[in-house]
Amino acid sequence: MASTVLVVDDSAMARKMLIRSLPAAWDVEVRQATNGLEALAAYRQGDVDVMFLDLTMPEMDGFQVLEALKAEGLNCLVVVVSADIQPEAQERVKRLGAIAFVKKPVDAEKLGVVLREYGVAL
Amino acid sequence: MSTALFSEDQRDALQELTNIGMGQAGASVAAVLGEFVMLSVPRILVLKPNLIPPALARIVGSEKVTAVRQGFHGDLRGEAVVVYGVSHCRELADLMGYDDVIDEATEQELLLDVSNVLVGACLGGLAEQLNAEMGFSAPSLMATEAEVSSLLDVERMDSPCALFVEVNFSLEKRSFSCHLVMLLPEDQILVLRDAIDRFLASL
Repeated sequence: MASTVLVVDDSAMARKMLIRSLPAAWDVEVRQATNGLEALAAYRQGDVDVMFLDLTMPEMDGFQVLEALKAEGLNCLVVVVSADIQPEAQERVKRLGAIAFVKKPVDAEKLGVVLREYGVAL
Repeated sequence: MSTALFSEDQRDALQELTNIGMGQAGASVAAVLGEFVMLSVPRILVLKPNLIPPALARIVGSEKVTAVRQGFHGDLRGEAVVVYGVSHCRELADLMGYDDVIDEATEQELLLDVSNVLVGACLGGLAEQLNAEMGFSAPSLMATEAEVSSLLDVERMDSPCALFVEVNFSLEKRSFSCHLVMLLPEDQILVLRDAIDRFLASL
């Protein structure tokens, strides 16, 4: 059965780059959101298995999304994909429940390693 | 004037590439200051030169500012300006562990150092992704405790428009913030646009 992934980034190019970096053998249905509010709305509709979440976004940033997800009882795997490479940012998102941090620009191989570690991709 | 020189895809790409440079700059300055740096979405505008001072004033407010300029050259040519509110200059000295009032020369040296780190990481990160060679001149103080409106001599800019890229850095626990503005004249906007097109075509 296909996994549903939600790609959250305000940049269309960044979403495209992330989607192209997903393992080719992974059977996925891709949904997209352009800011944190849209991401939460999409998440609440259900079925999201993995969320790829940018941090720096208008309306509602990635940290706020993680806080909201945590408060609602996190029910999907969140991989943060961000250019904010401060060690403190990486520690924070993990404390907020993200399973991994992948820095931008995304390296497809590293992303594959992260996903396989959690058994969510081939 | 709008950002009509850029298509929506080009503008989006420039914003994202700047975002990646900003992330590198944020991490560098966080390491120097030992504080968490909060980043916001970069803003991209194409403006007539006379609209640059109001755009700067919108970022920093009415406070007087001290600013550092640093030219860049190579495949892309332009100027980066780092703007600090005057009260934030003192905060910077405190952050760097000076307990007392520091003399003007020391404060200026600090500003030049921090600006150099920000500009090098941010623009260097942008250039790297675009496969552009970029060199930097030494940073220099362009104004101290000046009105924002007098910061740039826009009369002397002989370009019909300029690219204004705004990146803001602020600290979570302290009131310190500063703003990096990248200014490119019109001919260089076209060079940048071609580089972005090549980048997009390579995806």
